Amino acid sequence: MTKVAIIAANGGLFDAYKVFNIATAAAASDAEVGIFFTFEGLNLIHNEANKNLPIPEGREHFQEGFQQANVPSIEELVTIAKDLDVKLIACQMTMDVMNLKKEDFIDGIEVGGTATFVEYAKDANISLTF
Amino acid sequence: MAIKVNQVLDAKGLACPMPIVKTRKAINELEPGQVIEVQATDKGSTADIQAWAKSTGQHYLGTVEEDHVLKHYLRKGSLDEEKEVAKHPYTIDLDSLRKKIEGDEKITLLDVREPAEFAFGHIPGAQHISLGELEERFEELNQEDDIYVICRTGHRSDMASRQLTEKGLSQVINVVPGMSEWQGAIEKE
Repeated sequence: MTKVAIIAANGGLFDAYKVFNIATAAAASDAEVGIFFTFEGLNLIHNEANKNLPIPEGREHFQEGFQQANVPSIEELVTIAKDLDVKLIACQMTMDVMNLKKEDFIDGIEVGGTATFVEYAKDANISLTF
Repeated sequence: MAIKVNQVLDAKGLACPMPIVKTRKAINELEPGQVIEVQATDKGSTADIQAWAKSTGQHYLGTVEEDHVLKHYLRKGSLDEEKEVAKHPYTIDLDSLRKKIEGDEKITLLDVREPAEFAFGHIPGAQHISLGELEERFEELNQEDDIYVICRTGHRSDMASRQLTEKGLSQVINVVPGMSEWQGAIEKE
């Protein structure tokens, strides 16, 4: 089975789509997928923040394009990812730095340190960083 | 072109990766060997469906565009078919079949694949009765002829050959492996 390991380290809307589109497409193709959320990437699974992720300055007009193309919302993609058993790992160290608790995040995530991710990713076929 | 399928999935208006995600869920509900039609408007879906089928072991049959809607046809993969097990005692390889077709002798070539598979490419002159319908329709065959039975890999045609022999037909020959390796002429509907 193909194994995909993704690091999500940025918290913008574009970053979120890159992460979740690839994760859900890979999972739908029978790959095992794990995402490690660290630093601003934690926004992508934060209860509140992931409903309104920022679009890069000067690119606000993309908002309309997203709607016209009927692109699913990040919340929908997260739900799909969970349905497809994508493993979502929040980085403990950055949570501590940013003073965030597990309750601040969506249900169904795991919390772990870098060693958790390294253990998961050591035999991955595809490793990506966003 | 109307093609008979087991299920139709409406993924129109959805952007990547939703057509693939929906197809995954729908295919999970099907039995191996069943055929699904996926309707999509995402232009990337033609390439994606093929790549997805390849990585998940489904069989991509083809795509038709009608009124700006892409209709992708897929057949759910079946592990049994990938094994080469020939149980019917009489078989013929593709080269010999080709000579028979080009020769003077009158033969019946029976294609037992699903309607969508047949529609996207079959040997000219082949008669089509899918395996599932053979029980009811075998009397349509000309029982005077030698009957050569073909499918994609030789698995379904083996079952069909044995079924026809049980019905009392004596000149039934299974074509191995099948359309997956056929290099000769192809006709589409």
